[in-house]
Amino acid sequence: MSTVVYSSPFVPAEWIAAHGLRPRRLRPGAGAASVGPVMGMCPYARAFVGDVASGAAALAGAVLTTTCDQMRRAAEWLALGGGPPVFLMNVPATWQTPASARLYRDELQRLGRFLVRLGGAAPSRERLADTMEAYDARRTALRGALGALGAREASEAIARFDAGEDLESATLCGTAALGCAALHRSCTPEGRRATVPLALVGGPLAREDVRLFGAIERAGGRVVLDGTESGARTLPAPFDRRRLRDDPLLELVDAYFGAIPDIFRRPDTALYQWLGRELAASGARGIVVWRNVWCDLWAASVVRLREATGLAVLDLDVSGEEAGFNRTADRLQAFMEMLK
Amino acid sequence: MSVAPKRLTIGELDRLCRRRQAAGAPMPAYAGPLARHVADGDRRLLKLEYDDSAAALRLWSFLLTEEERLPAARAAGRKIVGTMKDLGTVPVMAYALPNVVAFYPDGAWWTPCVMELSEGLFGVAQSLGLGDAFCPVRAMAGAFVNRAHFPIPDLLTCSVGATCDDFSAVAQRLESLGFPILWWEMPSRRAPEPGEAAVTLPGGFRAPASQVAMVRSELERLRAALAALAGAPLGDAELAAGIREANRVRAVLGDLRRLAYTADPCPMPALEMLIAEMLAIHFCSDRAESVAVLTELLAEVRLRMDEGRGVVPAGAARLFWVNPVADLRVMNLLEDCGARLGGTEFLFCHALDAIPEDLPPMEALARMALADPMVGPSADRAARIVRDARTLGAEAVVVSRIPGASHCALEGAVIGQIVRETLGLPVVELEVPPVADPMWPTLKTRLEALVETVMERRKR
Repeated sequence: MSTVVYSSPFVPAEWIAAHGLRPRRLRPGAGAASVGPVMGMCPYARAFVGDVASGAAALAGAVLTTTCDQMRRAAEWLALGGGPPVFLMNVPATWQTPASARLYRDELQRLGRFLVRLGGAAPSRERLADTMEAYDARRTALRGALGALGAREASEAIARFDAGEDLESATLCGTAALGCAALHRSCTPEGRRATVPLALVGGPLAREDVRLFGAIERAGGRVVLDGTESGARTLPAPFDRRRLRDDPLLELVDAYFGAIPDIFRRPDTALYQWLGRELAASGARGIVVWRNVWCDLWAASVVRLREATGLAVLDLDVSGEEAGFNRTADRLQAFMEMLK
Repeated sequence: MSVAPKRLTIGELDRLCRRRQAAGAPMPAYAGPLARHVADGDRRLLKLEYDDSAAALRLWSFLLTEEERLPAARAAGRKIVGTMKDLGTVPVMAYALPNVVAFYPDGAWWTPCVMELSEGLFGVAQSLGLGDAFCPVRAMAGAFVNRAHFPIPDLLTCSVGATCDDFSAVAQRLESLGFPILWWEMPSRRAPEPGEAAVTLPGGFRAPASQVAMVRSELERLRAALAALAGAPLGDAELAAGIREANRVRAVLGDLRRLAYTADPCPMPALEMLIAEMLAIHFCSDRAESVAVLTELLAEVRLRMDEGRGVVPAGAARLFWVNPVADLRVMNLLEDCGARLGGTEFLFCHALDAIPEDLPPMEALARMALADPMVGPSADRAARIVRDARTLGAEAVVVSRIPGASHCALEGAVIGQIVRETLGLPVVELEVPPVADPMWPTLKTRLEALVETVMERRKR
């Protein structure tokens, strides 16, 4: 089956799967960031382009979105570079008008035509509904499993789920079977008392970035809320089973476009409502903002998060370079010392 | 014998102004010595060099008195609309109403340059979380907070979607501070698919009809908001009249650009041309006066052409300039290096092209808005640059990067590649900060090298 990679949580995997293609949400390797200009270009966008370009032969296509300026332009860069066919999906920033939702729906249909050109087949309503139902069931199981996992394992489970691996592989991988507390000091009752609960919010994680969770633990913290773009925050809403059968595409629009809170949306009230709710529920005492350098959208949130939540905020700007991670670890250490 | 125009210091320009005043020469009420603006903090004016014509004096006076016009408009009972990011569309609609003026708060991005950072806007922006990694447009946030540069608008609009992340983030921060914004969607312009209904936009880009319809529906929301603000209808008749008036500005500016960028010797300096082009986007808060200012500049250009007079020697290297410069003084520098403007693309060519008058007004405005070079692929923008550079006979292209701007990292590379491949012209990328003095030697060297390259290529 041909693989179509994508970058954004606003691309519904089940829409690609319903066309008979294999969806894979890519977490690029930071080491792939060897293309494009260095100055001013988001390292995540560079890594994504690098990963797609280097694996072009095995890919049927790539789907990028307009959810940030850098990825919008990276799509053009990728298309010029001899990689696989590229589709730039227009995800509206505004969301309060019917026209925005209509544009998103139209873009799904346009994406469908692209997938057909890649060798896919336009799904019948039943096939789409069946595929959505199957994904919804797997996602429900994933959500249920996440609570039993440590933050790093939960992030990796979502990554494996997004990569299209089966659920058992995605969620278990030995960790849940052993029990989270067996692996993480921070998950034992004593560990919970000794470590500082933190929220991690921000942009997408590259493959190697899961080591961040370990660095936080070594510094004396534990992530109790993963609000990164790669975390559970960006899972679509569960489908309404009745509406799913009546108009599956509309349900897809509602579950993705209508429900995922994100930083690029205007206004961004849904994101701050989500943060307010989840921060309170998590008991986080501090926030680590994970942002790729040159990401203006998350950069502008740092002071505002501090003002809005009253919590201490650590602004971690990351360049994707190996040498930079030691600095990240040092800054985490200092942040923990402040919170203890 | 006619004397070649020369660039004046601010002192020389102000003496010219006083002589004209003493002689009773016709001058608009707002015209006067620029030193009064220096006294208000516009210190960069001391380092700029100006064209020596009465037309240029009027242009500068018009530009620098906008801060006075906006409060005066409010005092006269007119409503003020702050239109953010779309660069040329919403003001056409706003000025179609008799009691509304519109301006771009974005224009504050030049305030740190003009005031040589003495105004503290970047410091305020920094305190809001908008630091050096952001485009200089972050100064706008500071201006909203300190309220020292423009009145807080009665209505604030902002186009989002296919816009710079810097701008979207800064505007969102403003809203979080209590400045409500009417957000409207600007989709990312794309090429029509095979068999898809498509239209040609002003300026020549093609776009799917469905995208035009989407923008049109968004502009309808703006129309309703503007009419509600004004307490007056904004019907098609009013909009059509507004479009005709906007086209008057664009037509005069079109003639001015064509002559200024092609005549040899060059009849109008780069700095004044940059300012003149800026009048197109919101008419500097006075549409009728914009036409008068541009008309006088055009007359001056024609006179100089008739007399064979230019601001640089004939044969100067013709540079096509991409993106506005954050430091105005760099426009002086290019002439110091033996060059002249041979074309421009200052991010808003859609505000220069005529708006179709043979279409329903909202359709025409939607097409114009979607023709914004920033909302489409960089390759589109490059194609426009190639076309204009070829038409105007440019000999090299300068891509002037805006520090921190999210679009600059990749688009410069794309534009450079396409220009080189298509036209075979040399291309340089420069980064120009709001006060470029520390980089002066580097900028000068790079521009001089480009001019030498142009001159060498002429010998082939």
